[in-house]
Amino acid sequence: MTELKFYGDRPPGIEGASLPGRLIVIEGTDGVGRSTHIALLKEWLEDRGIAVLDTGLTRSELAGPGIKRAKEGNTLDPFTLNLFYATDQWDRLEHQIIPALRAGMVALADRYIFSLIARAVIRGVSPEWMEDLYGFALIPDSVIYLDIDVEHLLPRVISSTGFDYWESGQDFLPSTSVFDTFVEYQTWLLDEFRRLATRHNFHVIDARASVPEIFRAISAQVEQVVEGMGQEKTIDELLEEPSAEVATATLPHLE
Amino acid sequence: MSTHEDRELPGRLFVVEGIDGSGKSTQLDLLHKWLVSQGYLVVFSEWNSSPIVKATTKRGKKRHLLSPVSFSLIHAADFANRIHAEILPALQAGAIVLADRYVYTAFARDAVRGLSKDWLRRLYSFAVKPTLAFYFDVPLDEAVTRIMEGRPQLKFYEAGMDMDLSDDPEESFRLYQGMIRSEYDQLVKEFDLVRMNAMDSLVRQQKQMRALVAPHLQGVMRADGGSINDVLREEGLLGRYLDEARSKKAQA
Repeated sequence: MTELKFYGDRPPGIEGASLPGRLIVIEGTDGVGRSTHIALLKEWLEDRGIAVLDTGLTRSELAGPGIKRAKEGNTLDPFTLNLFYATDQWDRLEHQIIPALRAGMVALADRYIFSLIARAVIRGVSPEWMEDLYGFALIPDSVIYLDIDVEHLLPRVISSTGFDYWESGQDFLPSTSVFDTFVEYQTWLLDEFRRLATRHNFHVIDARASVPEIFRAISAQVEQVVEGMGQEKTIDELLEEPSAEVATATLPHLE
Repeated sequence: MSTHEDRELPGRLFVVEGIDGSGKSTQLDLLHKWLVSQGYLVVFSEWNSSPIVKATTKRGKKRHLLSPVSFSLIHAADFANRIHAEILPALQAGAIVLADRYVYTAFARDAVRGLSKDWLRRLYSFAVKPTLAFYFDVPLDEAVTRIMEGRPQLKFYEAGMDMDLSDDPEESFRLYQGMIRSEYDQLVKEFDLVRMNAMDSLVRQQKQMRALVAPHLQGVMRADGGSINDVLREEGLLGRYLDEARSKKAQA
């Protein structure tokens, strides 16, 4: 059960006190392995009879394409970019996440407001302004944070996507060396994430460990969060029970 | 832009060069798979593949807009972007970088188009010196046969049609590749490229490459942390959403 609680005031148009689904957020810096673990977790949950929505930054119908276009130009000031992201975040909450939770699904979010806050704060936007802005965000049932240091992050980034312009802070750090700005930027970012982890009670997982160890730690936490879900019997299972014959026979008489 | 000679680069850079049809990409691919299987972190970078520049190059080639100078400059722009965003950071981090074509391709192709060799060397002075650069030496007839077998039609710049060597694409291709091949002969001496006999069997060439690369691998960064396959086995999962996750990442 997800309590319908928000970081700030409840946004207009959202009714009810609780929802039967769960909102689970996976946070962590670029290259730490979030998307891999989410892909594994989605299958793991479905195998347990739980329906899953997976969602992530810029995947809203409304603002996703616009953000991607804006980032290609590398031209936006941090406030505009943040409000663009906030639009995307709200659109997905309203049209993807909350409906999924109402339907009793697990919503797995690849990043949430925390990545956005951390990125903005190290670019000089005030943390208060950012947390006020995201007052509309639903408080998740669990925020699982994959914690890593730069030394362990480097090989993963190299073996996956390489050094991204934004994830290396190239938009605002003065050096032209991507490697140097990456190390500097990620060091700052990870400090900011840890500050948020304390403030917002993240479930912190040591992502320096091996992939199987990390997944075991994640699934152990998720198991607790989804306890009691996926227990409903399917129609086929119900029909196979001894009482099914009687129940089926009486079906047409039910008013 | 500054040169990087003053900086200690912990990674290794291996380069393959040669005319079209020399089999260099096949050999580099085999080397890549071997290095990955040994647990090394490998970054692959291909000529003309910068996500920012390549669309412009493609447009220029399609519409025949490129003159010798713009041909040279657009390829230098592509290379600069890959040096800055892919090759240099990976080398600084201590990984292995494999490059399919490098500055020598520009030195050969642009010289054939009449640009000053001295100017080209200064233009590309920001390039990192490779640990080893292999040159796949193939007789012209063999290269032409290999290319013509695999391709129904030669592209305009690929065949060197911009240089007015011949109106017949196949003849132009032969003349153009022949000129590039003589340039490479000079470059092998000037830059100490490792000459490989591209007429040898694939296995023999690959063995030779590995033997030459191996001594340079000490202290190079390795991937760590167990594999996804371990998770799939332990948890009884199929990994049915992993491809989707990878393609999302590639789009982003």
